[in-house]
Order: sequence, then C-alpha cells, then structure tokens
Amino acid sequence: MSQTRVTLRQSLALVWRTLRSMRTALILLLLLASASVVGSLVPQWPNSPERVLRYQLDHPLVGALYDRLGLFDVFGSWWFVLITVLLFVSLVACLVPRTRAAFRALRQRPVQAREIDAFRLYEERVVPADPSSVIDGSRHVLRKRLFRVARDGEGRTALAAEKGMLREVGSLLFHWAFLLIVIGVIYGKGTGFTGKAVVVEGKTWVDAQANYDGEIRTGRFFDGNFSGVGIHLRGFEDTYRRTGQPMDFVSHVDLLDPQGSLVKQADIRVNHPASIDGLDIYQYGFGWAPVVEVRQDGELIASEPITFVQDTAPPGVPQLAMPWHGVLKLTSLDPQVGITFELWPDSRAFLQLQQTGQPIPMVQAFQPFMRFSVYRGDLADPSPLSLETAGLRRGARGIVGGGQTVDLKTGRPVAGDSAGSLTMSFPELRQYSVLQVSRDRGVPLVLLAAILVLLGLLPALYTSRRKVWVRAEADGSGTVLKVGGFALQRKSQFDGEFAKLVDAMARATEKPAGEGRSEDPP
Amino acid sequence: MTDLQWGRLSNDAFNVALFAYVAGMVSYFAYMAFRRDAIWKVARALAFVGLGANLLAVIGRAFAAHRVPWGNMYEYSILLALLIVAGYLFIVEGHYRVRTLGGFALMFAVFTMAIAVSFLYVDPLPLVPALNSYWIKIHVVAAIAGSSLFALGGGVLTILFLIQDRRERRQLSSSVASGLPPIMGGSIDMDAPPDYSPDADEPAAPIRDERGGLLPPAATLDRMAYRVIAFAFPIWTFAVIAGAIWAQKAWGRYWGWDPKETWSFITWTIYAGYLHARSTSGWKGRPAAVIALVGFVSLLITYYAVNLWIVGLHSYKGF
Repeated sequence: MSQTRVTLRQSLALVWRTLRSMRTALILLLLLASASVVGSLVPQWPNSPERVLRYQLDHPLVGALYDRLGLFDVFGSWWFVLITVLLFVSLVACLVPRTRAAFRALRQRPVQAREIDAFRLYEERVVPADPSSVIDGSRHVLRKRLFRVARDGEGRTALAAEKGMLREVGSLLFHWAFLLIVIGVIYGKGTGFTGKAVVVEGKTWVDAQANYDGEIRTGRFFDGNFSGVGIHLRGFEDTYRRTGQPMDFVSHVDLLDPQGSLVKQADIRVNHPASIDGLDIYQYGFGWAPVVEVRQDGELIASEPITFVQDTAPPGVPQLAMPWHGVLKLTSLDPQVGITFELWPDSRAFLQLQQTGQPIPMVQAFQPFMRFSVYRGDLADPSPLSLETAGLRRGARGIVGGGQTVDLKTGRPVAGDSAGSLTMSFPELRQYSVLQVSRDRGVPLVLLAAILVLLGLLPALYTSRRKVWVRAEADGSGTVLKVGGFALQRKSQFDGEFAKLVDAMARATEKPAGEGRSEDPP
Repeated sequence: MTDLQWGRLSNDAFNVALFAYVAGMVSYFAYMAFRRDAIWKVARALAFVGLGANLLAVIGRAFAAHRVPWGNMYEYSILLALLIVAGYLFIVEGHYRVRTLGGFALMFAVFTMAIAVSFLYVDPLPLVPALNSYWIKIHVVAAIAGSSLFALGGGVLTILFLIQDRRERRQLSSSVASGLPPIMGGSIDMDAPPDYSPDADEPAAPIRDERGGLLPPAATLDRMAYRVIAFAFPIWTFAVIAGAIWAQKAWGRYWGWDPKETWSFITWTIYAGYLHARSTSGWKGRPAAVIALVGFVSLLITYYAVNLWIVGLHSYKGF
C-alpha cells in the first residue's frame, strides 16, 4: 500500500516537474499556435455561422466529423481551453518560484566574491590614494551608474555591486500580466453581452431583452439585467464619393435614461462609438424603412415604418444595387392579409437596369417605389421579416410610388378612401440604423494588462544583469585597485562598459574623494 | 500638383525604386562573389537611390489620396519594401558592418514590390469609413515595421544562418575526418603550399566577417537574427495591442478570432517560442532557427494569405 502511495507521489512530482519545464511550456505554446491555425482555416460558428452551414451542406460527412471535434468553434472547444489552461498552469508553476527568488534577490545585498581575478573581465590599476578613499570613490561611481553596492562586511576594503535586476522584474511582469489578461477576458466576457438594435429614424429603442434584433450573445455569468437606457435616432446619413465608394455612415442619436429624459446627444460613426451607462454603442449597418399606411373604410389600421432587408448580391453586382424586401402583416383583418414588398429606393437604377441590364448602386432615395403582392388567409408564420405564402390565396399585385395611395383589392392607384375600401399609401421613406450594443466591463483591465505586458517586455529583452567586484589593497604609498566582473547577457557589450567603469573608478580616486565627486557632471 | 500628378509621380518613383533595387541586388551578389570595394560602393549607392525613390513613391501616394499612405495592400507592400531595405542598410550594414547580405535583403524587397505591382495595384483612393481612424496610423505602422524586421531577422538572416551552419558542420566533420592537425601529432606535407583559402579556416575560431567564406560565420548570423527578432517582437506586440484597441473602437470587441487577428497571434506565439527556445538548452541554434523560420512563414500568411484569400474583416484587397 505504502509502495503505491510513494509511486503516486513520485508520478505526481514527475507531472509537476514536466509541467514546470520550459520544454513543456514551449510545446504548449506551439500547440496553441497550431490549434489557432485550424481555427483560421475552418469556418468558425461565432464569426460566420452562414459559412459553417454552407460547409456542412457541401461536405456532410466531414462536416459532421468537424462538428464532433469542435472544429467549427475551435476557440470555444474543450481542447483549446485545455491547452490554454495547461499553458497557464505551467506558466504559474514557473513564475511562483521565480518571483520568490526575485524578491529574495532584491532584498539581499550583493554578495562578496572570494577571488575576483578569475572573472571574465578583470583589471588592475595603481592609484595614488589610500584604500578607503579608493573604495569610497569607486562606490560613488558605481552608485551613480545605478548599481546596487554593498561594502564588505568583514572589514576588507572591498565592494560587491550588481545591476540589471529590472530584466528579471520585467520578465516576471510580462508573464504575470498574461494572467491578468485572462482574468480580464473571463470577467468582461463572462458578465457582458452583445446584441443588435434596429432603430428607425424618429423612433426610440429601449435596452430590454425583447427589443434586440436576433440573438443576444450573453456571457456565462450575465446577470440578466438590461439597463432600460433609450436610443432615439434623430437621423441617419450615409454618404458616398462619386466613385460609389462609401465615405461616412453616421447615426445622430439622443441617448436617454430609463425615465426617458435626455442624457446626451451623440453622433455614432464607424470607429466612433458612443457609450452610456456602461453600454457601448457602435454603428453596424443600415437600411431602408418605408412608412406604410393601411386604411380600412378610411380608418388607419397600420402606419408603422417597416424595416426592409436585402438579399446578398451575386458576384459582380454591388450590394447597394440590389432591391430591398419587406413584409406587412394585417392580422386584425378577416381573412388575415399579408403583403410582400420589393423596394427600389432609386427608380432611375430600376429604369437603367430594365434598359441596359446594368445594375447600379442606389446610394440615395430618388422617386422611390415599391412592387407589392397581396396574400389572404391564415398567417401562421409570426416572423416580421418573411411571409410563408404556401396555403395563402394570392390577391392583387401592383406598384406604389412615394406619396401614392393604392387599392389593395385591385392593386390600382386611387385618389382617396371610400366606404368598404382597403387602401395602402406610401407617404414616406425613412432609413434605419443597426447599432451594436455591448457591455464588457473587463476592457480597462485587459488594456492595463496589455500595457503591463509591453512595459515588462522592454527591460526583459533589452537590459542585462551585470556584476562587479572591487578590491583596494595598499601598495606602498598608493593603492592597487582591482576590479572584476561579468555580465549574464549581452556579454560583448559589457566589455566596453566595464573598461569605462574601471577608468572612472581610477579617475575618481586620483584626487581626494571630496573633489573627485564634483568632477563628474551632475 | 494635382492628385493625378502625385499618383503618376508615385508610380514613376516606384519603377525607379524597383529598377534600382534589382540593379543593387545584382551588384551586392557580385560583391559577395568578387569582394571588390568598388562594387560594394556601387551596390550601396544603388540601394540608397532605390530607397529614396521608394520613399518618394510612398509620399506620392499620400498626396494623391490625401491620407496616410498605408490604406491598401499595394501601399503596405511598398512601405514594407522601404523598411526592409532601410533596416538592412542601417542595422545590418550600418551597425553590424556586414556587407555581404545586401543581395538577400534587396531580393526580398524586389519580390515584395513585384507582387505589389503585379497583383495588388489599386489607384490612390481615400479610405473607407472602416479604415478611417487615427489608429490606422499607429497600428499599421507598427505592424509593417514589425513585419519588415521579422522578415529580415526571421527570414533572410535565419535562412542564411541555416545554410552557413550546415556548411560549417560539414567542414568540421571533414576536417575531423582528414586527421589530426599537426600540432596534435598529425602529419604535415612540407611540400604542399600552405592553404590560405577561406574554406580551410578552422570553424571553431571566430572568423572576421569580410575575410571568411561568402557569408559571415553562422554564430554572427545567429546573433544578428536574434537581435533583429528581439527588436521586432515588442513592436509586433504593440501592433497587436494597437489593433485590439482599434477593433474595440470599430467593431465593439478587442478580440474576435478574425483570421487576421488569429494569424497575428500565431506569428506572435511562434516568435515568443523562438525567444524562449533561444534561452533553453537543447533548443539553441538550429531548432530555434527552425522555429524562427516557421514564424516567417506564418508572417507571410498573416500578410498575404489572410488579406487575399481567407474571408474575414481584414480582407480588404483594394479597399
């Protein structure tokens, strides 16, 4: 029994030793890189779900295998997390003893050497001064160059000095900061969320779960509280150059507190988000939202702007050349009525396409019109963006231009309403803005950690540890100054520095100590 | 000058730079073979002419498009070539006094520029909103500076180190095979003329750069590669951090495993591995150099493949 316990302890110690070795850390680091390569080559669900679906349709067998292995979400897969965790365990296992040793070394005074003429660099000078003033001068020279200096404890005229602890401190800071990044990421992403808000010009959107468009990505520890903050879109502008290249997208918004009173106004652009109450609001997309009014017997039964969407353009066709699609559902009528629309915000583009077959982008509204089809029956599909027409009776089709009114029974334009009529008008074409709303409380922590990474990296790479020992031995009327030293890194560069150091020490003591000090420039 | 003229000036300067680099490259290789100071002076002059024209090409783009001259792949490429050649002339030749590597550095610049003009050319245009941020000035400059230094250290110098290291090992094994040197009891043929050719020198002793074989000794190349990579690493780290800050501003998240982010992380990880490997016993020398070379391949993918072929937020070929 005791035999197995010893071997268990031994094997655990072996695992620990293996985990602590640089070799393991290196292999884990390169494994992490390899896993990331896979993540960049296979389409990733969080980045582009539609490409994952297409891949699975095109390659059903391989797709199923990839799915099982988590290759469609490499960075969220258990094995990626495992590599990361092992890497950080290995990192901490390395760092704890190193940090302890560094603290000890920082507290400790430089240790005297027994024989100093055995070091890589060694020089002797004869100086016309007594040993104790030679030591004073040398100590001054070394301290001025930011060496940590210790006098000999046993009464000898000797010094021990070292410099460059910043290298180890920087290296430790660099590595610990990565732990801080991980903490910041887990805290920020865990308690945060991100979602999309669709706001039509003139409307107000309120931060509440039900108001988000599509999926809200919440962290594992999200508390479920939404702020109730309001975003009122005063207007949206998209501008283009003559070449059709986009120039600017801007949402002019009022940001409101949960009571609905104005907190501040903001212009949200690409690269210029706004923030309120810990929420960050980004310009994400935009589209057209025609206002459609339906009247039954002259009484208004629908008068809302409808958000329209586009199909993805085929290759070679500019996205903005595509028409926009929308749906209106009148569920209060009997039988229920559904209308599908195709919007051409710029009728010149439509005409040009008819005449020349050349699609041109529609970057602004010009005499807009919509083609529509009316369907009657039970509207089973609750989606506001699509209409399932199977099982519905097809009614009138027609065209409605901006400012026009049409009869929904005939599809023809009419002048006004009469008893028993069902008419639809298109009084106004507005735009809507898609805003990304997210909360990530970890951002400042991650930024701080990133700055610490850089701050640690510079001394860790560019400074070197240097050690110097000084002896002064009486020799007749003067003193023999003996200096030994070495550098742990950048050895060849230290040669020159050492020579200058010895020169300075010899010079500092050629005169009485008091004058020698004033000789160096302040 | 009008925008059009600036654009044309940039293109003309580009052609002059490419021509000067090609001529400089040939001259540097000629210097490597013949070791005449005059040839080196010509090569160096050509490299500087190319550098000046290259700088003009970059500036011309800035004035033609009224913005920083790094808004698309074509412009990144001419800036990359500029920094590689400048890095070679000022670091390798200026600081380390090594003259034999110019051909390789210029070759890299020539390739970069040839790819740029053949596949990546676009007319100078203003920036799209997504790129129109002051972070483009910071992030892209750091990324290109880091890339050019990695290309110099992890690419050019590391490949040459591996070649030279292999040669020195062969020499070592052949000199061991040919018997002990006379001083250690071997025999010596008194009639044979003394062999002073560069190939006969002893591999263990440090060889002066300009006297030895065609290339500096492997140890020198290894040290230079390390220094350049250690210089590039914090710049690259900064570029990644600046990119993350920009991503936070533009897309609302500082990190989203977009292909460009992923590959810059991979490159970072590999060079972090290189720096650790170089201070770990058993990984020094060739294994570390192989890691640096893998990092260079990763850098090329980060730079070219991600922008051109892998779909993501950074795939802005053209604009």
